[in-house]
Amino acid sequence: MSSKEVYLDSCKTSRLAPEVLDAMMPYLTEKYWYPGSFTSIGTEIAEVIEEAQETVARSMNAKPEEITFTSGGTDANNIAIQGILQANRERGRHFICSNVSHPSVLAVFQGMEKQGFEGTYISANKDGYLNLDELKAAIRPDTILAAFTHVNHILGTIQDVKAIRNILDQADHKIYLFMDSCEAYTKIPLDVEELGIDSLSISVHKFNGPKGMGILYVKKGTEIVPTQFGITRLYKLKPGAINVPGIVGTAKAVEIAFTNFDQNTRSLRELQKLLYDEIMKRIPDAVLNGPPLEERSPAHLNVTFRYIEGEAIMMMLDFNKIHVETGSACSSKDLRPNYILMNTGRTHEESHGSVRFTLDRFVTKEDIPKTVDALEKTAKELRRRSPLGKKEQ
Amino acid sequence: MAIKYSELVIEHFKNPHNVGTIDKPDASATEGSPACGDQLTVYLKVNSETQIIEDIKFQSYGCASNIATASIITDLAMGRNIEAAKQITWKQAADELGGLPPIKMHCSVLAVDALRSAIKNWEHKHLGKEIDDSLNKKNIVKELQKVIYGQVGVDIVSLKLLKYIGVDEKNNVLLELAIKKDDPFLDDVKNEINERMEKFPKIASVKISLV
Repeated sequence: MSSKEVYLDSCKTSRLAPEVLDAMMPYLTEKYWYPGSFTSIGTEIAEVIEEAQETVARSMNAKPEEITFTSGGTDANNIAIQGILQANRERGRHFICSNVSHPSVLAVFQGMEKQGFEGTYISANKDGYLNLDELKAAIRPDTILAAFTHVNHILGTIQDVKAIRNILDQADHKIYLFMDSCEAYTKIPLDVEELGIDSLSISVHKFNGPKGMGILYVKKGTEIVPTQFGITRLYKLKPGAINVPGIVGTAKAVEIAFTNFDQNTRSLRELQKLLYDEIMKRIPDAVLNGPPLEERSPAHLNVTFRYIEGEAIMMMLDFNKIHVETGSACSSKDLRPNYILMNTGRTHEESHGSVRFTLDRFVTKEDIPKTVDALEKTAKELRRRSPLGKKEQ
Repeated sequence: MAIKYSELVIEHFKNPHNVGTIDKPDASATEGSPACGDQLTVYLKVNSETQIIEDIKFQSYGCASNIATASIITDLAMGRNIEAAKQITWKQAADELGGLPPIKMHCSVLAVDALRSAIKNWEHKHLGKEIDDSLNKKNIVKELQKVIYGQVGVDIVSLKLLKYIGVDEKNNVLLELAIKKDDPFLDDVKNEINERMEKFPKIASVKISLV
């Protein structure tokens, strides 16, 4: 992508960091070998993979053997959710999820419902926080798994994982806790021990790593069965070919994210605040969706521009080489407004005019005024065309 | 698969024709509502002797194709007499734009609908023509011909997805649709139907059942 482009959609996918590509390159070219024992080439690769597992494990206070590299976040979700449900089906068939979970997680549960499992979907409040009283009420003697999205991909809401864990622990039987941490990882501190997470999934291309890579954490002692079968060279849960360059790239992306983690997240926070302040200062009738800035992920901002529609805003920005996402029904593949916004009490109109901005290390301070300049012009022009809000303006 | 707009749609979105309002219009009409999607208002200035549309303007709360289709139908209607303007179809508007993706066809329907409603209002005001909003099967079909099934971009009547229309003596309407309950476009079709049925002032309720 040319440096003139402003990319504010890293929650969808992000740019591969050049250092990551450099780290991967030898493993795509001259070091194309597989891990193995006794031989020089086999042991070299085996050690590289071990190091990668250690790097990832350290970043979340896990043990290296609790880390499995997968082919993406969806893959990790499927392995964990299906594997835990199937392994524990003698204890029960009930799981708890929420109606503000990521669609990739909801899709796994919809599949499991067709296989005889039963779900309770708890709701969230207007800022996207799960209603924990509903969680308490949802627990049944046959509940075996609770699974939630750690940081909401639309609103940036950070769930209180410790509080969720405490509620699950009040049950007189084991309820596993799975977190889809794709938007949390590298954006907020994540300690699996401290939070009491049994399993989590991470998507690597969301933090400047390679596409087609995921990280699965499964706490030692978790009852889980494999759901994929093949040659298990490295992991019992993930058979098949080993993506060595992907693993190396993942480790590098993790290393970059966690070197100066505090400074990195502080920089994101500054950009987020700058973007928000500039929008609010310069564009009338802009409404923040989700919790106050300081409570949410530093990489997320979601704003509704009243009286105008999100796909039109997104396209106008695109003409200016600025890339964002919208929750508008016009932009969805089934003409439905974004369900996260609707399930957190926004109206169709509010969802229709919503724009999501997500940040990463490649967003610069200079990108912010450029974005808000374009947004201001866009809002003015689209409002000139709109029949709505004339009296208020 | 990627959904792309034609160059003409992009051009009309970037630089739409006839945007705005008309001071003291001879007629106007608003179709759609922000509560369930896009909204479009069309304003007309019609020469009462020649019945020629001398000026037409629109305002759109909607996406790129909504704005582009409004722009093209106002171009098509400008300078025509109202009888000719009534003949403009949503397929024609879409063709004039070099085609629309199926999922966006409903924008063209909304644009043509707003134009036709504005003309109807003009005819009502200036020619004293009655607006027929009586609740009967014929009129219901007419409205449902404007409900587009987004996957293919064709209306539910032509697609034969509408299997039955019933109106009882208390003005409750029952519609039977041949759409599966897990169809991703079901919500949109239901919303569109409910919005269309609001056109009938006498309607008591609408029940949609899937067959």
